[in-house]
Amino acid sequence: MSAVNTWNSTQHFWLIILGFCVAFVPRFIPLMLFTKRAIPEWFNEWMKFVPVSLFTALVVKDIFIDSASYALILNHFSEMLAAVVVVIIAYRTRSMAISVITGLIAVFLLSMFIA
Amino acid sequence: MNKRRPNPKQVADPNEPLWRSTLRVAMPLNLSYIPIGLACGILLHAAGFNTLLTGLVSILIFSGGAQFLIATMLTINSPLLSIVLMLFFLELRYALLSSSLSPYLKGESNHFLFMFAVSLNDENYAINYLKFATDKKWTGKEALMVEHYSLLFWAVSNVVGSLIGSTLKIDLGIVNFALTALFLYMIVMQIKNRLTVVICLISGVLAAVCMMLTKSTLGLVISTIIASLIGFYLETTLRKHLPDSHWLWKLRGPGAKKSVVENTDE
Repeated sequence: MSAVNTWNSTQHFWLIILGFCVAFVPRFIPLMLFTKRAIPEWFNEWMKFVPVSLFTALVVKDIFIDSASYALILNHFSEMLAAVVVVIIAYRTRSMAISVITGLIAVFLLSMFIA
Repeated sequence: MNKRRPNPKQVADPNEPLWRSTLRVAMPLNLSYIPIGLACGILLHAAGFNTLLTGLVSILIFSGGAQFLIATMLTINSPLLSIVLMLFFLELRYALLSSSLSPYLKGESNHFLFMFAVSLNDENYAINYLKFATDKKWTGKEALMVEHYSLLFWAVSNVVGSLIGSTLKIDLGIVNFALTALFLYMIVMQIKNRLTVVICLISGVLAAVCMMLTKSTLGLVISTIIASLIGFYLETTLRKHLPDSHWLWKLRGPGAKKSVVENTDE
C-alpha cells in the first residue's frame, strides 16, 4: 500500500485555512455570547461539571479507545497501571510536573515488561 | 490564615515579573509539549507537509489531536472535505471549554476574546481553569500569557520535529501518555467531594459507549454534556433535599495543606 500522500503545498495550505475555521468558530462563538450577557446561575452550576467530565472522557479515549477504529481496547495494561500510579502521585504531591514525569517513566518501564 | 507571616516556600515573590510567574505556571505543560510536538512534526513531515506549513498549522489549529488526525488522514489519502468534517467534530468540544471559561472573562474586549479563542486548547484550558477557580488574582491577561507560552513551545517543537523528519523514531504511545497524565492530574485536582468521583465514573463509561457508537470524537462532546448535566442535576437535588448527604462531603488530599494552589472557593 502506498502511504505517500500526493497533495501539493497549495492543497495543504487550504486544508489549514479550512481547519482553522472549524477550529476557531467553536472556540469563539460561546466566548462572544456568554461574556456579553448575564449568565443564569444554573448555567454556571452546570459548567462546573464540564472540566471533570471532559478530562475523564479524554483519559478514557487515550487508554481504552482505539484511535483509528473507535473500538474498545482493554489490553493497554501498561497505560492502565501507569494511570493508577499518576492518580496516586497527583493525589499525594499535588504537583503537575511530578505527576507527568512519573507517569512517563512509569509507562516507559511498564511497557518494557508488559508487552 | 497567617497571611502576614513570610513563607518563602509558598508565597510567590511579589516582585517577580509577570512574564516569569506565568511562565512558571505554564512550564510543566510547555515541557510535556516538547516530545509530543516533535512527534507531531515528524508525522506531519511524513504526511508530506513542508516545514513552513507545519509551523502554520501548529499556530492556526494548535491542537495535538487535530494535527495527528490530519497526518493520519493524509497518509490514507482521505478527501479534503472528509478531513475538514472530522476536524469539525473533533474541535466541537472547544465550545464547551470556552463556555465554561466565559464567567471568568466577562468584560473583556472583542479583540481580547478573539486572541484568547485562537490559542485556546485542551491543555492550557486545563491550567487556566484550575487557576481561575483557585486563584482570585488570576485574570484574562495571565491566562492569555499561559496560552501564548504553550503555543510557542508547541509550534517550535513541531517545526523542529519537521526538520529532523525521519531521522528520529518516537514511540507515539509513550509520548502521548504525557497528555493523559496531565488530564489525570487535572481530574484529581477537580475532585472536591464524593459526588465528583461518581461523575468521573459515569463520564468514563459514557465516553467509551458514545465514542464506540458515534465512531468519532463527537462521542466526547455528547458524553461530556450528558455527564455534566447528570452532575448538575444530582448536586442540585442533593443540596435541596439532603444537604447533609455524605456524597457532598469534602475530600482533601494529604498534600492539600501545603498545596501550591491556594484554595479559596466556598
